[in-house]
Amino acid sequence: MSLLTLTVNGAEVSREADDSTLLVEFLREHLGLTGSHVGCDTTQCGCCVVHIDGVSAKSCTVLAAQAGARKVTTIEGLAGGDALHPVQRAFREHHGLQCGFCTPGMIMAAAELIATYDGKLDEHAVREEMEGNLCRCTGYHNIVRAILAAAEEINGPDRVVRPASGHAPGHAPVEETA
Amino acid sequence: MTPSLHFRSVGQPVRRNEDERLITGKGRFTDDFSLPGQAWGVMVRSPYPHALIQGIDVSAALEAEGVLGVYTGADLAADGIGEIPHNPVPSTQFDLKLTGRGGTPVYIGEHYLLPQDRVRHVGEAVAMVVAETRQLAQTAAELVMVDYEALPFVTDTSAAAEPDAPRLWDALPDNVLVDSWHGDRENTEAAFARAAHVISMRYHLHRVTGVPLEPRASLGHFDVETGRYTLWAGSGGAVRQKQELAKVLGIEPARVRVISLDVGGNFGTRNRAFVEFGLVMYASKKLGRPVKFRADRSEAFLTDYQGRDLVVEVALALDADGKFLALRSDNLSNIGSRCVSLSPLSKGSGLITGSYDIPYATLRSRAVYSNTMSTQAYRSSGRPEVTFAIERLVDKAARALGYDRLELRRRNLVRPEQMPYVNAVGSQYDSGEYEKNMDRVLELADFAGSAARKAEALARGKLYGVGFSNYVESSIGTPKERADLIVRPEGVEVVIGTQPAGQGHETSFAQVTADLLGVPFETVKITLGDTDVVTAGGGTHSGRSMRHASAVIFLATADLVEKGKALAGEKLGVAPAAVEFADGVFRTADTNITLDWFDLARIAAERGETLMVRRDNEMHTPVFPNGACVCEIEIDPDTGGLEIKRYTTVDDVGRCINPMIVHGQTHGGIAQGVGQALWEGCVIDPETGQPLAAAFTEYGMPRFDNLPSFVTEIAEVISPTNPLGVKAGGEGGTTPAPAVITSALEDALAEFGPPDISMPFNPFKIWSAIQTGRKAAKLERAA
Repeated sequence: MSLLTLTVNGAEVSREADDSTLLVEFLREHLGLTGSHVGCDTTQCGCCVVHIDGVSAKSCTVLAAQAGARKVTTIEGLAGGDALHPVQRAFREHHGLQCGFCTPGMIMAAAELIATYDGKLDEHAVREEMEGNLCRCTGYHNIVRAILAAAEEINGPDRVVRPASGHAPGHAPVEETA
Repeated sequence: MTPSLHFRSVGQPVRRNEDERLITGKGRFTDDFSLPGQAWGVMVRSPYPHALIQGIDVSAALEAEGVLGVYTGADLAADGIGEIPHNPVPSTQFDLKLTGRGGTPVYIGEHYLLPQDRVRHVGEAVAMVVAETRQLAQTAAELVMVDYEALPFVTDTSAAAEPDAPRLWDALPDNVLVDSWHGDRENTEAAFARAAHVISMRYHLHRVTGVPLEPRASLGHFDVETGRYTLWAGSGGAVRQKQELAKVLGIEPARVRVISLDVGGNFGTRNRAFVEFGLVMYASKKLGRPVKFRADRSEAFLTDYQGRDLVVEVALALDADGKFLALRSDNLSNIGSRCVSLSPLSKGSGLITGSYDIPYATLRSRAVYSNTMSTQAYRSSGRPEVTFAIERLVDKAARALGYDRLELRRRNLVRPEQMPYVNAVGSQYDSGEYEKNMDRVLELADFAGSAARKAEALARGKLYGVGFSNYVESSIGTPKERADLIVRPEGVEVVIGTQPAGQGHETSFAQVTADLLGVPFETVKITLGDTDVVTAGGGTHSGRSMRHASAVIFLATADLVEKGKALAGEKLGVAPAAVEFADGVFRTADTNITLDWFDLARIAAERGETLMVRRDNEMHTPVFPNGACVCEIEIDPDTGGLEIKRYTTVDDVGRCINPMIVHGQTHGGIAQGVGQALWEGCVIDPETGQPLAAAFTEYGMPRFDNLPSFVTEIAEVISPTNPLGVKAGGEGGTTPAPAVITSALEDALAEFGPPDISMPFNPFKIWSAIQTGRKAAKLERAA
């Protein structure tokens, strides 16, 4: 056991924890920040993505002790106070989530992608860059749209290529029946 | 009084009530709950597909650091813990009646939380270790010594049905537990005898697993003071879990509370009780502490209930004009080692004739035990299998007999004027415009332009294929549902017994309620998933939820309007019959005073009453969602790599409550169906019986970079079977997907002859088919 001191979502926190404690365990079990999820044991699914010094990391494969001197941001701390980050808003607006289990990791990975991507973000780039996050509900279609919409809001329209709609225009109104 | 069907919110892409908590990390998934003093349970699992349990030595594990208890099947038996009552045989009036041989009852092998006699699949839990932490429990589990005597095993579906296959259950003469015949054998045989053509095929629709991203978890707490158990466990229906676990524990259901709030994906895999649900409850009572279990991903791959695994032998009889005369099908379902659900076999059995008017059919439905994890309903239970069979057969017939594949379909489709249409095995299709779906999807997909796209790809040295599939499926499900409608001055609450795992019930049910009552959407709150609040309900499966919920809410609203009129009449000093209700407002002809729902709730509250109704509904009649689908693929002949270029669907979901949600369901459904066709598979090594796919590194998942964006359209042919005309929208994406991908692959490889390869079509298989085809062509040229 050691006293681990981390900066999480802007606040310094200290807890006694086993040296083998993973960052995601520390966040979930010791700090009660249950927004970062555990979906696998092999660094594959991305449900546990957090930012360490602003860089996406799968917190299931980082020891809490390794994050000691660095700034950890989780989904709970992505936006300030009650406000929502543009990526969070876009996921809701574009129905980029269904069950919501992969969502915190998706949002964290997407936020970093948008913040750090140099070129003009398009569907192909989003699909390539986000490949380390799995979703079983959405078929990724609406997540791609959410990420591009958020990128447009954050970086401006000149740095995004909008995707095609994907829906046939509406669905025919129907007769009222009892 | 019929509630208002003046829709404001229904039909709109209303953003979801669920999302705020889920995008901010405030979801309430099972593993997010922890209790003071909580211990952790870890399973000791069988490494053998089939073995006698000669003894279990737990002494070393009990000595290990932090261990609080180790439990085996013998301990559970000594404490009177019972079997899980899965009730696997579908039993509504509209389900095909599955029986054992000669109409005998289906033999259901016992399913105790932990077996005492033998293990029947790799990964079966034989003991549970509970310790202070998960890590300590994992370490101690390694010290549990199980004395196994390996037995002969069988995992392959066809092999398991052979008379001399290793047997799983002593009470059965072989492994076949269902063997029943359906349809009209005499007329089917007569039709085959006079047919101009008979086209047949055999195919194994391989096994996959649901892979909800939230690993299954359970947290049990026994309260010594009240004698009640609380179980936190995400599932497909908390009420069902409560009833079944009460039976397992041998106690009154009132002593069990099950909480299932946010559920991280289900797709059918979570609809039945898992042994760890009962085990954490049992251990909590033994230890006087809460006990939690969370599956590793590899445990989820091995022991989540799995899906598909059907061997189909099917033959179609056609006359000289390409009219379908009759169908013969032999369907063999591998249900694994315990009979958890026969839904996949049953649901598929009722739909073997697909979207086509085939006068006669004979079906032999069989289910077989094997030394594999149990199967269960998985996204569109049973329907992708039979859709695959009929659609592949039609393509094969078109190729063999020289018909255009679309024309052959048009010639045989069930027509709208035949609705309601009873198919050859007795399923009554409620409504649908099948040819219109075809026309629309071909237009949306620019099918006419596909020849040019193919030519362009060929010019680049690629292979290019265009696939097509129709489908019809059924939504049946548990027939009973209950809704409580409670109007308070601050808003309306609906308590209902469905169990979403991402389908957005908190939103779409609120849309329906808001419109029926004539109140703003924002004032309605939906309560789900806690059996201390939700007293009855059928859970979520088989696309039943929107239809059952809208029906029971509709009926409850009618009751509530009557109550409202009585209350308004008293307030206004007139008889209830003199009160009119429209658009959320109660009024009389004589005054200009009006009362809305919240006025009435205040009046009730002033009297110390609550304005509420409870309504139960039982609705057996199934509905038949349907649609059509086109996809285009490009193959690199040098690598066998396959890329989906276009994917277009039209889905008739009946009335669409929230198109945003329904489109989302279609997208996810497509991904799961395409996943089965291209990447996913629960592969078992035939020599050792060991599952080979137990991690995301081994099980091919649909990913961001292997799927395209989709073009989806919702068709709304209102079903006459329920008040709002709902069919279902959750499974149409999946149902035709394996068929349409295969169709596209056959088209792409047409020059080599239809490929003799099985799903999932990985690049190696495709490359090999191309090489084989080229060799054959070379030999032909040389000869």
